[in-house]
Amino acid sequence: MRDVVYLAWRYLVFNRWKTGILIAAITVIVFLPLALELVLERSSERLRARAAATPLLFGAPGSALELALSSLYFSGESPAPLDYAIVAELGDTRLAAAIPLHLGYRVGSHPVIGTSPDYFPFRDLSIAQGRMLALSGEAVLGAAAADSLDAAPGGGVVTAPESVFDVTGTYPVRLRVVGVLEPTGTPDDEGVFVDIRTAWIVGGIGHGHEDLQDPTASGSVLKRDDSNIVANAAVVEYRDITPENLADFHFHGAEDEFPLSAVIAVPVDAKSGVLLEGRYQSPDSPVRVVRPTEVMDDLLATVFTVRQYVLVAVALVGAATLATIALVFLLSIRLRRAEIQTMIRIGAAPGRVAAILGTEILLVLIASLLMAGLLTGIATAFGDEIFRWLLQSGVL
Amino acid sequence: MISIRNLDFRFPRGGFRLVVPRFDVPAGGRVAILGASGSGKTTLLDLLAGIRVPDAGSVTVAGQEISRLPDTARRHFRIHRIGLIFQAFELLEYLTVQENLLLPYRMSPSLRPDADTGARLSRLAEETGIGGRLRRYPDQLSHGERQRAAICRALIAAPDLILADEPTGNLDPENKRRVLDLLLGQVAGHGATLVMVTHDHDLLEPFDRVVQMRDFHGAEAA
Amino acid sequence: MKGTVRRLASLGSLLALVGCEPAEQGAMVGPAPPSGDATVEIYAINYPLAWMAERIGGDAARVTLPVPEGVDPAHWQPSAETVLAYQRADIVLLNGAGYAAWTEFASLSPSRLVDTTRGLEDRFVSAGAMTHSHGPAGEHDHADVASHTWLDPELAAGQARAIEGAMVTRVPDRADALRQRLQSLVAELAALDQRLALAFQGWRGEGVLYSHPVYQYLDARYGLAGRSLTWEPGQDPGKGEWDALAARLAEAPAAVMLWEDEPLPATAGRLRAMGIEPVVFHTGAGPPATGDYLALMEENLGRLARFNETVGAGDN
Repeated sequence: MRDVVYLAWRYLVFNRWKTGILIAAITVIVFLPLALELVLERSSERLRARAAATPLLFGAPGSALELALSSLYFSGESPAPLDYAIVAELGDTRLAAAIPLHLGYRVGSHPVIGTSPDYFPFRDLSIAQGRMLALSGEAVLGAAAADSLDAAPGGGVVTAPESVFDVTGTYPVRLRVVGVLEPTGTPDDEGVFVDIRTAWIVGGIGHGHEDLQDPTASGSVLKRDDSNIVANAAVVEYRDITPENLADFHFHGAEDEFPLSAVIAVPVDAKSGVLLEGRYQSPDSPVRVVRPTEVMDDLLATVFTVRQYVLVAVALVGAATLATIALVFLLSIRLRRAEIQTMIRIGAAPGRVAAILGTEILLVLIASLLMAGLLTGIATAFGDEIFRWLLQSGVL
Repeated sequence: MISIRNLDFRFPRGGFRLVVPRFDVPAGGRVAILGASGSGKTTLLDLLAGIRVPDAGSVTVAGQEISRLPDTARRHFRIHRIGLIFQAFELLEYLTVQENLLLPYRMSPSLRPDADTGARLSRLAEETGIGGRLRRYPDQLSHGERQRAAICRALIAAPDLILADEPTGNLDPENKRRVLDLLLGQVAGHGATLVMVTHDHDLLEPFDRVVQMRDFHGAEAA
Repeated sequence: MKGTVRRLASLGSLLALVGCEPAEQGAMVGPAPPSGDATVEIYAINYPLAWMAERIGGDAARVTLPVPEGVDPAHWQPSAETVLAYQRADIVLLNGAGYAAWTEFASLSPSRLVDTTRGLEDRFVSAGAMTHSHGPAGEHDHADVASHTWLDPELAAGQARAIEGAMVTRVPDRADALRQRLQSLVAELAALDQRLALAFQGWRGEGVLYSHPVYQYLDARYGLAGRSLTWEPGQDPGKGEWDALAARLAEAPAAVMLWEDEPLPATAGRLRAMGIEPVVFHTGAGPPATGDYLALMEENLGRLARFNETVGAGDN
């Protein structure tokens, strides 16, 4: 037996390229479905976890999926806005606490998330450096965002305009970084968190400018009467919100009408959640309430349906690959006829020769399974980071 | 050493037929078998090695009628008592020269290296001039070196009988003579019997006897 | 099919954002749930609210007003650390009506904020301030309501009710005691209202001036039809202001000017020379040196009474 294994081993090592390719091919066939299962399992677990941790979402009527994706994962299109009045309305019900969310702006590739201080304990986010948000104009960065933007407390980041072509719309605003969060392995790591009012300033609803009643601002004044001053476009608007110029900032319009992307409602208890949902279930309701778990289950059901097809495809490809590998072995045996005849003529039993060839196949299979197992282990331990890197680097 | 009586062999699907009424080789003898291509030289060697079995008649080697032995016993006999040298050397490309020399010991669990095997290998390698090549692979050797390695492999288990099938067929004239001398020297040194198939008349002089295949009734079956 | 493809595309980008931590749990939002002998941590943005919270909360509340002494809470800008302290409170009492602009730009949880004048907007009074407009949206009005709402004792009682309601939610097992203290406070505010009404009886016809536009709710409650200037107690108004005042007096005379604090003697003297008696009426926005809000109002009533005596306008 030792001689059989030895001869098989020597053959495989000598033909290392062929052996390597065979092992790689079989490894891929074995690992691919495992990896797919692993990725889907882990990802769906995390998607469900984040959805399960978010009891109810309120948004404008429209796609529940869009609302859930943007509110939970800050991805996709920003949903249609709803009025800030819903926050007080929910508070008045005494059934839930409301956490406002304002989305749609970015610092580089990182979403600017306008919210309230309640968001941080809700998502179990804690400060790693610096402090929490206190004043408008401040930003607290997720761990990955801080890394990517190379920003730390004391530094600054600049928001991107809503659209490259939006020359008359929102302007970039410089935010002061006051804190960096501990990494959580969730989408919050990518966020640039600001107070909801800061988000409104970024969106152009609030702004700061020179005091128009000050004589030095006369160059910006078009006309003045007893009760109103009309300024022209030359009025200097502040792009930096600092403690020094904060007093010069103001909002236009009624706060109740200011836009939100969504509101996370945290019911006091399960019964309160049901009551709250019931109040907003009417098709005529200006506000839509969504259970993120239901949305995610729906999405994942679709994914898992597709997974079946993918697995069938992988199985077919695998079978074809194995058939090809078998053909390679058979052709290889044909090419080694002289070698086989030599061994038989020297005195080897046909069974021994078959054992040597079979052992070669077995060793390749064992190596492939070990490699697939190793890769599966690596994917289990580091798969999320690897996959995220592959997606973010554009490889996938 | 060798005794064939009334041997009659046909290939299974018809075609070639070999008839050898009588063929004897004494122990220690050196016999060259001459014949044209397709005359049955290799078939005769196969019958002497026990690789093939005659349809009729007997083949006796070293007192053993191998033609009557079952498959396993014939293999056992062959691997212990007979050394084979092939025209195309037939060294395994993925084994070193040393591993090729020791290949017979890996072909059957019944043949195991003994205390002298290592010394025998070293001596054979030195005497055949490939002592410094043992760690090389066959494709790193010259033709002549490869045939010398094949000769060593055939002798490593100290067989009683060497069957060589055109061992110099792939060599240039200079190496032919050299290898043949080497082979004859080793055979004599080990006290073995040599039956060598060749079609090269220039190499016949050192042999005790030359047998022509046409002396046997080898012919296409009617 | 298109929907399925879109969902898969969404999932693809989602997977980039999903990490490897164990399942997260949503944490509590808002103040900690009430327990038997818990106290409610309350931060207020001005003294009247802090006072009302103390009166109503008793030992069930720990009330903090971090405004430094001598600083007008309406124009105070807290430091970031102070704002963080406000964030940690169970309840943050806001006055509403645009009071304390800093709250507009501080990061505070809606679940902990109590706008004490919410629902009382129909009682708001215009401040008559200058608006400005610019940009494509045209004219905008900048929160031009007067903000010293507590000076109307009826509004103050409404604010007290809002405070009590917020406390009951946090410490429901103390609801009875809270309600009792609220009722007592409301009764005291009603009594104050009556005494102020009596004290201001007949003032309408006398011509009332206000040194600063902070008395709008007093004016509206007691029908004083007064006019506001923008004079500071510790500064001379300047020639322009004196001339403007003289011009206004020529159109409509005035007999009294309410001041948030003692004016400069020169200012007071000059006013008297013009026939206008300066009377200090502390608004109570910041904590008094001694006593509480009612004690402060008592002092105010005393000065009103002395003025009324001098002009024979009535007494309490």
